[in-house]
Amino acid sequence: MSTASTLLSPELLARLERLELVSRKIFRGRMKGERRSRRKGQSVEFADFRSYVHGDDLRFLDWNTYARLDRLFLKMFLEEEDLHFYALIDASKSMDFGEPTKLAYAKQLAAALGFVGLVRGDRVKIETLGPGGGDPPPVLRGRRSLWRMLEYLENVQPGGEAPLAQAVKSFCVRNSGKGIVVLISDLMDKSGYEAALRYLLAQEMDIYVIHLLSVAEIEPQLQGDLRLVDCEDGDVAEISVSGPLLKRYRETLAAFIHSARDFCTRRGIVYLAARNDLPVEQLITGYLNQRGLLR
Amino acid sequence: MQLINMLTWWQWAILAMAPPAIVLLYFLKLKRRPVEVPSTYLWRRSIEDLHVNTIWQRLRRNMLLFLQILILLLAMLAALRPGWRGVALSGDRFIFLIDNSASMRATDVEPSRLEEAKRQARLLIDQMDSGDVAMVVSFADTAKIEQMFTDSRRKLRAAVDAIRATDRPTSLVEALKVASGLANPGRTADDVYDVQVAEPLPATLLIFSDGRFADVSGFALGNLDAVYKPIGNPESVNLGITTFAVRRNEARPQQLQAFAQVRSFDRQPAEVSLELRLDGELINADRFELAAEESRGVSFDLGTPDSGVLQLTAVTGDDLAVDDVAWAVVNPPRRARVLLVTPGVEPLEYALSTSAALELADVSVETPAFLEQPAYRQPAATGVYDLVIYDRCRPKEMPQANTLFIGALPPAGDWKAEPQVVAPQIIDTDSAHPLMQWLDLGNVLIAEGTPLAGPLGGVTLIDSNIGPLFVVAPRDRYEDAALGFVFIAEGGGEGKEPGGYIGTNWPIRASFPLFALNVLEYLGGGRTSGAGEAIRPGQPVALDSPLPGKEVSVQTPAGETVRVRADSSGKANFSGTVQLGVYNVRIDGKVARHFAVNLFQASESDIRPVSGLRIGYVDIPAQTSQEAARRELWRILLVAGLAVLCVEWYTYNRRVAW
Repeated sequence: MSTASTLLSPELLARLERLELVSRKIFRGRMKGERRSRRKGQSVEFADFRSYVHGDDLRFLDWNTYARLDRLFLKMFLEEEDLHFYALIDASKSMDFGEPTKLAYAKQLAAALGFVGLVRGDRVKIETLGPGGGDPPPVLRGRRSLWRMLEYLENVQPGGEAPLAQAVKSFCVRNSGKGIVVLISDLMDKSGYEAALRYLLAQEMDIYVIHLLSVAEIEPQLQGDLRLVDCEDGDVAEISVSGPLLKRYRETLAAFIHSARDFCTRRGIVYLAARNDLPVEQLITGYLNQRGLLR
Repeated sequence: MQLINMLTWWQWAILAMAPPAIVLLYFLKLKRRPVEVPSTYLWRRSIEDLHVNTIWQRLRRNMLLFLQILILLLAMLAALRPGWRGVALSGDRFIFLIDNSASMRATDVEPSRLEEAKRQARLLIDQMDSGDVAMVVSFADTAKIEQMFTDSRRKLRAAVDAIRATDRPTSLVEALKVASGLANPGRTADDVYDVQVAEPLPATLLIFSDGRFADVSGFALGNLDAVYKPIGNPESVNLGITTFAVRRNEARPQQLQAFAQVRSFDRQPAEVSLELRLDGELINADRFELAAEESRGVSFDLGTPDSGVLQLTAVTGDDLAVDDVAWAVVNPPRRARVLLVTPGVEPLEYALSTSAALELADVSVETPAFLEQPAYRQPAATGVYDLVIYDRCRPKEMPQANTLFIGALPPAGDWKAEPQVVAPQIIDTDSAHPLMQWLDLGNVLIAEGTPLAGPLGGVTLIDSNIGPLFVVAPRDRYEDAALGFVFIAEGGGEGKEPGGYIGTNWPIRASFPLFALNVLEYLGGGRTSGAGEAIRPGQPVALDSPLPGKEVSVQTPAGETVRVRADSSGKANFSGTVQLGVYNVRIDGKVARHFAVNLFQASESDIRPVSGLRIGYVDIPAQTSQEAARRELWRILLVAGLAVLCVEWYTYNRRVAW
């Protein structure tokens, strides 16, 4: 339990057990799961009738109705299926900042969401976006896989420069299945985050973006004449911290957040800004619940 | 502005190196502290925005440079100890006494003495330290508080500026009383203990004056520290008209004469030319040499003008103009109000009703019973009548008027009468007296006469073999005349027929109507009121009104009209005689009379400033030279430098947006 306690506390686990992941879209699961799909299919639970068209499975015809009305109707049942849940953690170097680090926060969040999925029998896959590569992420299913998931998360290390778009593209190529994608990132990519989100959109996935920023980024505590060094690409910005500059930085940050939210909202992506001083429990039970990811 | 170098050359050299050093430091590249951040993404965009304002950024940095160099310059300037000669003002309570009497109009200092006094006062007000309080008082013969104690220099300056010159004479006493109010509070004089009523507040008394007023005696300065600032040039010259009046010619009473006295207050002989104008027309002129410090009287014959305004101008070119002009007025003769109280005296009534007599007087005739009525008593007591003639009767009290008693004695005074004598002979008459002029009494017979003896100062006008028969004597400002025989006697004497009988044949003589006219002119005052009296500025004037309670309007020389209501005695008191010149008195819209206000004050005309004052038993010497003091600027410069340093520090640390 030692590993679990660092990422997920027992109390949180207890609370998470009562939750389940919700998708706003109808996805085809690979296997029958515990999840009642909106897709009509084979199950014991009746859903609806519809007229028979050529090629329908004759096994589902409602013969009783045919006898009464002399018309062919097809009985439809609610399908029960599993859900594909992907958590994408931005493991670039820029995530290794803050107290707790953004990466650690992201891991915790991913672990929590993954746990909810595992408990409900969903197909959970946690991927790190970054050059690290390493072992391919395991595909997890079932409560028993919790340890594997946590083990995998523990081993995730911040990597070097990682263009977000490139990493997301690679993810999309490898995972064609539809489902829920939660992208946890600071979106601070000089080439832009828009391309990355477009790749995900093309997959017709139910996308959640958790925009994670550290307190130091939101309210920088800097003073004096400084040379700022970018930890990813070594880019240097010389600044003399002044009232107007800080004001302008805050304006720029607000504009950045606003543009990201705007971009997501226009495209049906659920955007959620998070800061690393907000407890994970609160984020999950509060905000994500509100936003409809969890129920 | 004077500078005193406080540093040696090598110290200056070191100081001079500081500004280039500061500039040099600004050329050095700023060393920045490296800080690793997650991403420079947002910072870059923030700086990009700021790049638009690069000029401002640069200016801000330069602002620091400018401020630092400014601090250095201020310090260098302070090291030079700039300063100027100023005036020291010691103390913390001041009373500015500024003389605005007539002599302060002198122009021996530009533009005038009063302006010079105001300038000096303003200079001292500027020297006052914060927290000092001062009061401004202007004084001539009265004192006026222009500004009570205040620490507002603006108010004090405004109060000084508001002081205007007057034509009044000078007296310091009232100003000193005003000034000493707070410095020397009163004391209670309870039985044993002498308790001070309030805490005395010592003050410095600054007297700006030429000092031409009487020494102040009976005043103790106490807590006042008096400083006398003489205003004016000791070499100033002035000639002044110190007297100008119109009088009746002693020899020919119907003729008027103008008298003037011109006085020199100069150490050199001076030439004076006098011009006399009647109603603006030049009627006489005189020119003479006046020795140093000399005064000379001049007289001008005026003839017999009925009325007019006389203006005497001395063309001198001296330093004080107000005493070079004097005015006198000749008012039109006023008809005298005469009351004749008689049981019946036809000859006198006839003589008083001739056309010549009616021009002079308005005569009313009453019987002796009238004396008991209020209609007589009130006018008699309030001076409504100019002359009351009592024929064979006498009042209980003497009226406020000239009187002529015929066959009776005035009830008051030291009048005495001898027993009656039959057929007295007239021996002599005083034909020089206005009452008796032109009268020939040689052919006058008198039936019975009573020798009279008047009080002290009485003059015998008709003398007879038995003693004086006609005596005139002064009583306060009136004159009483008494005639020792009657014109018509009543009742029978021994062997005489009952009814009236003739007491004298004078009424049928040519001299009798002349006598009646002399009485009206002299005792009735028909002519004597022609010449107006001299009035000093500020002195109240009692104006005659035809009716009690009537409104009289007075036009001042400046052209303003002041309305005055007469009181119950028919006198209207006008006190606005502040300007020199001629005042017109209008009754019912018509000019009734004039009166002139003249300076005629030798102490004002003598404009040489005195070298010291004497107040009580304290001699106050003139403080001609100001207490010189060097006013330093370096403290202000250093404080300014400190202020700039604060601004610089704030700019640097707080990154103030510019």
